[in-house]
Amino acid sequence: MSQNDTNPFSTIAHLESINQCIQCGTCSGSCPLADLMDHAPRELFALIREGAYEEVLHSNTPWFCVSCYACMVRCPREIPVTDLMYALKEVITKQGTAPQNLKMPDMYQAFSRNIKDTGKVTESLVMARYGMKHPMDALKNIPLAIKMQMRGRLELKAQKVADPKSIARLFELTETSKDKP
Amino acid sequence: MKICFYPGCSFATSAGYKESTEAVCRKLNIELNEIPDWNCCGATVMFGENKLRATALAARHFALVQTMGFEDLVTGCNACYATLRKAARLLTEDQELFQKTQEVLQNLGLKLDRIPKIRHLLEVLMEAMPDSTSDRYKTLSVGAYYGCQLTRPDQDLDKGDYPEILEHFLDRIGFSVKEHSARTQCCGASHAVIYKNECQGLSQRIIREIANKGAEVIATICPLCQFNLDQAQIQDNGPRLPVTYFTQLAGLALGLAPAELGLNKLLVSADKVLTRP
Repeated sequence: MSQNDTNPFSTIAHLESINQCIQCGTCSGSCPLADLMDHAPRELFALIREGAYEEVLHSNTPWFCVSCYACMVRCPREIPVTDLMYALKEVITKQGTAPQNLKMPDMYQAFSRNIKDTGKVTESLVMARYGMKHPMDALKNIPLAIKMQMRGRLELKAQKVADPKSIARLFELTETSKDKP
Repeated sequence: MKICFYPGCSFATSAGYKESTEAVCRKLNIELNEIPDWNCCGATVMFGENKLRATALAARHFALVQTMGFEDLVTGCNACYATLRKAARLLTEDQELFQKTQEVLQNLGLKLDRIPKIRHLLEVLMEAMPDSTSDRYKTLSVGAYYGCQLTRPDQDLDKGDYPEILEHFLDRIGFSVKEHSARTQCCGASHAVIYKNECQGLSQRIIREIANKGAEVIATICPLCQFNLDQAQIQDNGPRLPVTYFTQLAGLALGLAPAELGLNKLLVSADKVLTRP
């Protein structure tokens, strides 16, 4: 475990709240996808406190946070666990240290790109873009897509805002933001 | 009654949420005023990418709601609801973020003076639906499923883990409600789409728990929850429970025909359980 003097997470709002963590594990026990995480939330907070920043920068944990907020409402020390997961994801994305073999960052990118292009999300187009990187996942979904189509629930045409350029502009204006996560 | 409505991206292709919401609101004289030119709220993605961007995407609606002259913004999607609320909370707490968001909006020709109250469609129908006067659906047992993001993290509408508002709603409009412990257990949300095998157990646990407690139908309040619970059953040999929207059940209670409520769009058919004398 490598140690680092400068904390890359120091700008995260309410990060200091993890000093209150009593390591009870209620967060990890409440997490629906803890099994898929390399360090469930309790452990991840311990690593940050110990200064094991490299370990945290390369952790898959924030990418398996489903935003169910179960941990956050149950935490006896009122640590905003889910909000911290979002912020960690933002720092890790900006640092470019997310684990290479993870599917979720590709899904998020496809989703975000669809918003940037059209202002709205069209699920089939997000899946198509994601499928370019993960063709097997996309193929596996075809039988389901056919069932959806039969029930009039598959939209292949992009939903769009009236002026997609305005949303692209919103993306540009926030692109180089060095804001605090 | 007039409400300012934010449908969100999944509304139109969901299993009859649009049809049933529109039909029920028509019947109850609720005028749905869709935010013109609404955009995606950013869902659970954008706050992990860029906080200012996430806030700006949400705040664009707040400025639009203001130009429409409404105080409240109503949505039927849990992810939209939680995301817009998160943005509203941050804009209220963080002046610096508010200023930066305002600059982005002004660049788009918009201005934010006030932040609307974000409400779920369930709250609106809770107030607007009349009490049942018929026994038609008294023998139809329903399990209420909330998903994660209606009561969490804010817990102001109801309790975070064990809410009851949907049970009260269903009981009041004439259905038999079955108690169960899976009401806010997570279905896997967007992870279930690409981590199918890993998330299958999450949906199975919810469906089996609700079936074990004697419900014949599930009532949901969110497009992604509906989709996950519905599609998980077609690749499983477990119990088959139609996964409806609370608006579809409200429509039935109001005497509307299943066809008007988009009930033919479910993957697990509701025909058998909804055929009532």
